Amino acid sequence: MFLTRSEYDRGVNTFSPEGRLFQVEYAIEAIKLGSTTVGIRTPEGVVLGVEKRVQSPLLESNSIEKIMEIDSHLGCAMSGLTADARTMIDHARVTSQNHAFTYDEPIKVESVTQAVCDLALRFGESVHDEEAMMSRPFGVALLIAGIDELGPQLYHTDPSGTFVRYDAKAIGSGSEAAQSELQDKWHKQMTLKEAQILTLRVLKQVMEEKLDQHNVQLAQVTQAKGFEILDETKLKEVIEGM
Amino acid sequence: MNTFATKFSTTSAVGQLRKAQKLAAEEDEFSDAAWGSEAGFGNVAKGAPSFTVPAIPDPAAFLRLHTDDHADPSCRIKIQHGTTTLAFRFQGGVIVAVDSRATAGSYIASGTVKKVIEINPYLLGTMAGGAADCQYWETYLGMHCRLHELRNRERISVSAASKYLSNLVYSYKGMGLSMGTMICGWDKTGPAVFYVDSDGTRLKGDLFSVGSGSTFAYGVLDQGYHWDLTDAEAQELGRRSIYAAGHRDAFSGNTCNLYHVKEDGWHFIGNYDVSKMHYDGPGNVPGAPGHGYGYDIRVEGRSSANPPEASS
Amino acid sequence: MPDMVSIAQPIQQSFNPYTENGGTILAIAGADFSVIAGDTRQSEGYNIQTRYAPKVFRLTDKAVLAVNGFAADGNMFVKKVRQRLEWYRHAHAKDMPIRAIARLIQTMLYARRFFPYYVYNILGGIEEDGTGAVYSFDPVGSYEREACRAAGAAQSLVQPFLDNQIYFKNQTPAPGTSFPAHLPLQTVLSLVIDSFTSATERHIEVGDGLEIYVVVAKGSTSAQGLQNLRGVQELTATDDGERVFVVRRELKKD
Repeated sequence: MFLTRSEYDRGVNTFSPEGRLFQVEYAIEAIKLGSTTVGIRTPEGVVLGVEKRVQSPLLESNSIEKIMEIDSHLGCAMSGLTADARTMIDHARVTSQNHAFTYDEPIKVESVTQAVCDLALRFGESVHDEEAMMSRPFGVALLIAGIDELGPQLYHTDPSGTFVRYDAKAIGSGSEAAQSELQDKWHKQMTLKEAQILTLRVLKQVMEEKLDQHNVQLAQVTQAKGFEILDETKLKEVIEGM
Repeated sequence: MNTFATKFSTTSAVGQLRKAQKLAAEEDEFSDAAWGSEAGFGNVAKGAPSFTVPAIPDPAAFLRLHTDDHADPSCRIKIQHGTTTLAFRFQGGVIVAVDSRATAGSYIASGTVKKVIEINPYLLGTMAGGAADCQYWETYLGMHCRLHELRNRERISVSAASKYLSNLVYSYKGMGLSMGTMICGWDKTGPAVFYVDSDGTRLKGDLFSVGSGSTFAYGVLDQGYHWDLTDAEAQELGRRSIYAAGHRDAFSGNTCNLYHVKEDGWHFIGNYDVSKMHYDGPGNVPGAPGHGYGYDIRVEGRSSANPPEASS
Repeated sequence: MPDMVSIAQPIQQSFNPYTENGGTILAIAGADFSVIAGDTRQSEGYNIQTRYAPKVFRLTDKAVLAVNGFAADGNMFVKKVRQRLEWYRHAHAKDMPIRAIARLIQTMLYARRFFPYYVYNILGGIEEDGTGAVYSFDPVGSYEREACRAAGAAQSLVQPFLDNQIYFKNQTPAPGTSFPAHLPLQTVLSLVIDSFTSATERHIEVGDGLEIYVVVAKGSTSAQGLQNLRGVQELTATDDGERVFVVRRELKKD
């Protein structure tokens, strides 16, 4: 078989003549199919919000899990191929626990993000003579929220293994509209309450269904209580307060 | 010989040795995990911890030769030993009481050792045998308990936690680990106490005492124990038993640390000086008798030293 | 059958990679400072190999490590701890807190559980909350935070003295007074010097030189007056944090 130009998007670790890695770019595209996910950082803490697409009335909406705990001071929301996120989050959890075991201190938000991104770059890689662990890039983006000695922080990671810190970030299908809305509304001295409401407002704008406590999920990381997912009654209160 | 099982086993002592020797041969210090985000989790980087082992036919004998395994006081590396620890289950939860003395030969290396290891807010482990073995593996157990609850959205049961520890130390059987521990906590089944040791024993039970002073502690404990003890009575029984061991066992003493595990997790009750308990009692605490535990105190001087006058 | 097996295997009678190099180390924690000291004699049996072999090492501006036991193991161990501190700095963009160093040392010692480093470590320095700290270790990594600790050849000579002078063991305060919770730096330095001069008098493996490291918390007044001390040298690397000093003194050389 001979190589044509279109063959460059087959191998995960082959650059195209223009210097692109097509599979990684396609993986980033996969996120745009995912449900909208929003994260907002405030001086009091970080808020994460996701849209749950309830495709069928027979679906148990509380079985959709798109926000997960990494450690008591770290949370994570995802968009894209959520199955891929399980591997990444488990890696983050193990890294966080290994750090706590070795250094008797909570891991920094940036360090755990770095660890996740290191894993994201492991595709097509084989160590020594072993089989490669992953055959393709992850098809998921994460918003990692946490608190450490540098205060509340929000990080965005993508399949290329890049991570960037944000004050407010939206990912997923409605991300473009959501991001510009966040750019308009976010300000430095936002309270946690305001951030919760802004998160829901942004999600409401991009959602097709009517927003209620069953089709969104909200979580936060605060200095006092660490990571917590708001239960339905608390979520309902916030929705009513919008 | 089951060669298939040996070849693929990662947990047998032989397997561990082979793995460790292989690692030592290929300069394990500079693994990938030493760099970047993992920044050297050292020997835990590869998931399960790995250990350096001397490249000789019988590493266990080497260790026996150089470390203080109860018997030989002339060896160089003194590992802290000697202890009294106890834990019992009763109507109001679990009482955990320990002494605080560490000895290296006949030298008291420390009188302020924390022999209760706080694995997490609702699990306690006690320390008898090698101090480092208990500290290290029970901290390691704590890490896995936390991963269990993150992955399963549910706290680990005391039974599962103790079994995890038991399997872990069993995989190092014959290599010289020394620990006798009680894993205590409260789970869905209520208060629970499991005894785990480095031989691989794991027992579920109501009442255990471990260490060189355990026989003395058992004497008091067995005599005063029943299920319906009030919280104050149970705490007093724990204190009183450790006092007895501290009094009669030369390798135990200094102070007593007392913990009470209830439905909402463990509570530290207090630290009591053994000498003070002898002369003045534990102080103004629930269950205290209001006087010293020492028999010479209780008999108010009427002992063999000044016998009542013989009636002749 | 068992005979055939034993013939096939090489027989090593005893593998003894350890020796004891004498000396004593000691550390005392104050309210906002920590003092870590050690003598500089290194001996093997009754022979003195050198009169200046340091046993106390500055790790960072807030942590000092003293190692005692087998000198070769000790020096290699310090080297490896420093390497791990460097990696940590690159990965997490900060100096490792002393509490973290203590746990790290535990895991490093325990990784050699089956081939131990023959070293007794004492780590002294300043905690993140600004208090003075001392952590002591056994050779395989069990550790504890304490107010003071002596280790090495003259441990059994020095520790009872410290128990009496630092913890006020077997002392009763004069009526109407109470013992201080923390001693001032001047008092602690005098205690350290007295401990070593006395140990030198009564132990053959202790003597020659004394190195006392003093770590002082950020903005602490304990640092005042330290500069005027005889034989003092400042080792602080940064401008706005904890400060590290070393005081070098002579001990008897016979």
